[in-house]
Amino acid sequence: MSRFLFPRWSNLLLPTIIVAGAVAPLYAIFFVAYGLSPKTLEVGYQPQQPVPFSHALHAGELGMDCRYCHTSVEKAAHASVPPTQTCMNCHTQVRPESPKLAKVKESYETGLPVEWVRVHKLPDFAYFDHSAHVNRGVGCVSCHGRIDTMEVVYQSSPLSMGWCLDCHRDPVDKLRPAGTITNLAFDPVTELSESERLSLKDKFHIAPSEDCSTCHR
Amino acid sequence: MIPMPPRWMIFTGAVAALALAIPPFVIARVRATPDPNRPVHIFFDMDFQPKFKTQAENPLFADGRAQRPEVQGVVAQGETRLDAHLYEGVSGGEWATTLPAGLTLNEQFLLRGQERYNIFCAVCHGYAGFGDGAVNKRAMELMSNADGPVQGTAWVQAKSLHDPLVREHSVGLLYNIVTNGIRNMAGYGAQIDLEDRWAIAAYVQALQLSQNATIQDVPPELRDKLPKNVAQGDGAAAGDGAAATQTTTASADTTEVK
Repeated sequence: MSRFLFPRWSNLLLPTIIVAGAVAPLYAIFFVAYGLSPKTLEVGYQPQQPVPFSHALHAGELGMDCRYCHTSVEKAAHASVPPTQTCMNCHTQVRPESPKLAKVKESYETGLPVEWVRVHKLPDFAYFDHSAHVNRGVGCVSCHGRIDTMEVVYQSSPLSMGWCLDCHRDPVDKLRPAGTITNLAFDPVTELSESERLSLKDKFHIAPSEDCSTCHR
Repeated sequence: MIPMPPRWMIFTGAVAALALAIPPFVIARVRATPDPNRPVHIFFDMDFQPKFKTQAENPLFADGRAQRPEVQGVVAQGETRLDAHLYEGVSGGEWATTLPAGLTLNEQFLLRGQERYNIFCAVCHGYAGFGDGAVNKRAMELMSNADGPVQGTAWVQAKSLHDPLVREHSVGLLYNIVTNGIRNMAGYGAQIDLEDRWAIAAYVQALQLSQNATIQDVPPELRDKLPKNVAQGDGAAAGDGAAATQTTTASADTTEVK
């Protein structure tokens, strides 16, 4: 039996292993940070809704205020999904025979709700209060994006804890005057000066908490 | 010259290195395209707890609602609604001409009414109340389609609030219309809070006054502040619904409600 001899090229293995060993952890870090980030796993959630309701038409083209339908947003933690009656304020008369409205009509007749699919979900251990935000200068667009341009609504922000804290630690750029809360096209950074935004922070008494128990209670 | 490893080994190495480049592209694509199969839960932690949040689903009930509708015939505490003036806009058998006790007419109240009007009413009645809101315009387009009204649309032009008939309405009647609707208009009692409906009724009267005002309605010391064309015109303010002039007029008229 002849002796096994490493071929001469096997000298290359050592530097190759060193390089691969250095690159592999970097790659793994990159993969986790980029690939498993909420920006990848959460953002862009766009469920199919039972009724093809277009926010782009209603909130965008027709310019209806968010609060016309989501009436509880200024008073409660939860921004209510409107009852079928709200749809039927107009749709008893506008396109009542449209097949797209069949499920709305059915709901109106039976009294059973349309089963809308929730898009923006927080984990059950996190508490969020809409009224605390919209009454103090944080607009809808800061978290929900340009809903008024979406045919089918999707989640445009990560809604992760780090993302919440980004704003809680430095809210100034997200503050807007009370009259522009539901104006999704209004950008406080371009339309207000730094000092105007700082004065809003004083006016609304904004000192966002970073305590655990603020959101986890 | 450095001796090279066998070909198959170089080839395998190159393929493996290229394969590592695929995940970043996949991730970038995932980030750029909305998709119904998200969020992806890797660690469930305590994301889903056996409790029911607002407007959530509960399979225990036949209708699937976690929030139970009111049982028929039940009157909740504080919902007896016996005050006819406050809840129906009726005082002494007539439509009330004043606000109910507890509500004060002031600038803040009218501004609240303006804000609520712009949210709930302006979609059809228009910001200045001429019945030219965006929804009304679109519905009228659907009506005037060449092949007949689109998909059963049967829209009646939204009422101008400056119609002589509507201008006769007292604040109590306006409140009642906002609450219970009238003709084709649905009631907004469930959508708008009680006090806000009174604020809207008061604002509608301010709006009517603003669009039908004469120079005599403006206190003499404020007349200089009006734009020239309004002050010298026939008195009726231009019907372009300029919110700025409305606010000035409205605040000047805070003492007067029909």
